[in-house]
Parts: sequence; C-alpha cells; structure tokens
Amino acid sequence: MDVMLILQMIAAAMFAAVLYTIIGIAPGTDETAVLAPVTLVLVLTGMEPVVVLAFFISAIVAKKLTDSVPVAIAGIPGGVMAAPMVEHAMILKKHGVPDLSIRKMASGSVIGTLVAVPVSLLLANALIPFADVITSYANQLFFIGAIILALMCKNRWLALASIVPFAILIQGLRHLYWGVGVVPEGTNVFISFFLGITIGPVILTLFELLHKEKRESLERFGKKTIVLNKTKRKKEIPNPFKILTKKEVGTSAVASLVGTFTFIMSPVGMTILLGELVSSRIKDPVKKASRAISSMDALTNATYISGTLIPLIALGIPLSPVAIGPANALFNAPPVFTLDHNMHHILSTADFVWATIIGAAVALSMTYFVVVKYSQEICTFVFKWVPHEALLGLFFALVLLLAFMDAGWLNIGGVLLIGLVAGILHRWGVNYGVQFMVLYSAPWIVSIIAG
Amino acid sequence: MNKIEEPSQDPNEIDEVKENIEVWEDLVNIKELVLALVICSVTTLGGYFIAPNEPPKPLFFGLIGALVGFIGSSILIKPKRRFRVVKDEA
Repeated sequence: MDVMLILQMIAAAMFAAVLYTIIGIAPGTDETAVLAPVTLVLVLTGMEPVVVLAFFISAIVAKKLTDSVPVAIAGIPGGVMAAPMVEHAMILKKHGVPDLSIRKMASGSVIGTLVAVPVSLLLANALIPFADVITSYANQLFFIGAIILALMCKNRWLALASIVPFAILIQGLRHLYWGVGVVPEGTNVFISFFLGITIGPVILTLFELLHKEKRESLERFGKKTIVLNKTKRKKEIPNPFKILTKKEVGTSAVASLVGTFTFIMSPVGMTILLGELVSSRIKDPVKKASRAISSMDALTNATYISGTLIPLIALGIPLSPVAIGPANALFNAPPVFTLDHNMHHILSTADFVWATIIGAAVALSMTYFVVVKYSQEICTFVFKWVPHEALLGLFFALVLLLAFMDAGWLNIGGVLLIGLVAGILHRWGVNYGVQFMVLYSAPWIVSIIAG
Repeated sequence: MNKIEEPSQDPNEIDEVKENIEVWEDLVNIKELVLALVICSVTTLGGYFIAPNEPPKPLFFGLIGALVGFIGSSILIKPKRRFRVVKDEA
C-alpha cells in the first residue's frame, strides 16, 4: 500500500469525522438517510474503494460517538439509534450530571469500536468458507429477510401484505424505463429507488403540504425550547478506561462482543434488549443509568462496525440491517459496484484491515476528545446555526441529483412515486429493513409470481 | 424529554406566532422549507448541468452545488429553536 493512498485514506477519514460530528448532533437525522447518499456519491465519483471504506468507517464511528451528545445535553436523540438511550440519559440529567452521560457514552463507544474491529475481522474470515453457499441463495435470503423483518414490525400483517405490491411497483417502474428507452434493458435502476425509500417519510409529508385540509389541520408549534445545561469544563485529557468503572468497561465489552456476533439482528432491538439486561439488577439510579448508556453506546457502535464489515468481507452481499441500509453503497452502487463486483471482490484482507483501522483511529482520536471536551459548544453551535430546513433541502437535492443521473427527468417522478408509497408504508409501521429487502428481491419475487 | 411543547395559554408565548410544523422530528416553517428545497435543488442540479461533460465532474459539481445550497439556506433561514441555559451546580 503506497503512501499516497494512505494519506488519501487519512484525509477522507478526517473529512468524514468532521462532517459526521456535525450531522451526528443535528436532531432527527436517520443513520441510513445521512450516511447512504454521501457514501453513494463518493463511490460514484470513482474514488479508490479503500479510501471510501476508510471514509465510511470513520463516518459511522464519528456519527455514533456524537449522536448521543444531544441526548445528554438536551434530551433529543441525534439519531434513531440514540433513541433508546434517552430515558437513561434523562435520569443522569435529573441527578445533575449530564456531562457524566456524555463521558460515559463516548467512552462506551470507544470500547465498542475497540472490541468490534478485531472480532469482526476474525468472524468474517471464519465465515468465508460458507460464503459460496450463502451467496448462491441471495435472492431467497433477501426474500426471507423481508418476511422475518415484516413479522417483527408493529403491524406485521400489513407489512407482510405490502411485500408483493411494493415489489411490483419497483419492477413495474424498471420495465417502464426499459420500455420507453430511458435505461438500457436489463439495467436495474437501484440507487435512486433506494434513496426514494430512505426519504419516503419526508416526501410523503411534502405531498401532504399540498393537501389543503391536511395542511390546515397540521399541528402548529412555536419554537422548540432546548434546555442547555452549563457545566464546567474538565481540564484533564479524557481516557475512556478512567472515565468508565471496571464493571462498565466489562459490560460494555461483553455487550460489544454479543453485538458483533448478532450482526444480522436489528441494532436498535439489540441495544434495548442488552442495555436493559446489563443494568436491570443495579439499584442506584445513577450507577444503573451509567451502566446502561455506556453498554448501549458500545453495542450500537459494535453492531454498526460488524454489520458493515462481516457481510462485506465474508459475503459481498448486504445481509445485515446495517449493510442493507447505511452501508449499502459499499455493496451496490451501479455502475461502480454491483453485487458481483464490489468491495468484497476488489479489496484484499490487508486493505480491509488498513481502511478499518485508519478510519476508526482517525474518528476516535478526533471526535472522542472533541466530544468529551467541547460537547456543550458543538451542540450549541449546531442547534443555533443549522436550520432543519437546510438539512432537508440538502438531502432532497442529493436525491434529485442521483435520480436524474440514474434515468433522467422521468425518474424524478418515479422516485417521488416510490417515496410516496414508501413513506405511507413507513408511517404504517413497515420499517426500512422490510422495504430494502423487497428492493433487493423484487426481480426474483416478480419472476416467481409471473412463473 | 426536554422538548417542551408549550400550551397555547402560556403567558410567555403570546407574542409568538405558531406557524411551524414538525417534519422528521424537528420544526420547520413551511415557506422556509420550500425556500430551502428550491435553493438546494437549483444549486445542485445547476452545478451538475454547468459542469464539463466528462465523468465524474458533473457529480462533483453537483455535490459542491448541494453544499453551497446547504450553506446558503443555513444563512438565510433561522432555526426554529429557542434556548434556555440552566447553570449546573454539580
């Protein structure tokens, strides 16, 4: 590996750490929605795959480190994954130690990363002998995945019933594009459909704003009041092994280990389950909450890293909730990556190790210290200067751009249609996982039904 | 949770017009949301179309356009958040 490439990886990782420190703090940013489009764009620019991987690893580590900051400071989750921690962080805040929760959470994240990186690399290599068998059933696995995830939804029968119609919508549009000739026959439009699903809830809301009665009946708010706790800054250099007690390091490490092995499960589900499990016996509320949040943060970090690395290294198909969501572009971003030619096929084991280590190290060394020391300042900056409108505008524009690149003006309508349907399904409780699995298995589902 | 949704009779809030709606877990003003969508879309697609037609330049220009739109709308639009600072004794 030459020096230029390593420098590029470090630069990409630094860029990711800065960008996702800011995005991580902005409230309500869904992991898939903020990680997938940017990664996709980088892949499509033809950037070296190792550099993209270093960027992505740094992005998830930084995002996971920072999305817990607004939880601790203002009780607002910085992302979906941070939502289970709100309750515990609020207990610490109530006891007057909000800075403790940031320090505990960020330190938990560090433990999660330190455990997940080596274990994921080992586990991935252990899975390689079975890779051929697993990948030859990819279509069936995606379909089964859709069914399993549907059964785990709040409205499971609705989710199950939506699988076939949604597959038909996707394939219907693809055949239309082939028919009118905006895309050569056999080329599956993928990226923009994926993004359409991701920002579906926003597209649905935008459509509803055009509906007069709906618009007038929407609940109106003044400004959102955010209560900030002013705390004195600590002088010492933060060290995760000093911030966490021995027991917290222990449970964080165990939770990370379990999270790495269960990479195929839903990260949010595992976080809630294990977080409660490790803390349920502790009586003292502050100790209990500290134990819970440090372990939960460790676990979310670990499931993100393992969910990305294991399918990427061992299989080359996105068979985990993280791989099929935020990390999707590493597997499938036509024309650069396809399921038969992606990072799994291009990169060597050494490349994976280097990119992961550089990405994780850069993000940890930049973001951890910044978060622990300046959480107050960053949070105030983002809350004061980044309007939610601009974030929505940014992602909407990226989706437009990629939709146009995929299949021209016609596809902008197509993506709005997918977003509309996906948004309704999402509101009805059919989660992203089900919809992404259907997106992958749609050609197979339709061909089986058509016979 | 500390996001406080004040009841309408709150005396401190009388002078404030309630016109924001919630999209994706945070508050936006409809007109300003439309403004941000238009700004970002125009700068992004504009960047894409003025770029020299040799890949991956159009994509790069589009991306820069998106960033310009994001910064532009951040300058033009004020976040719908109000702050209350609590001094912490601990």
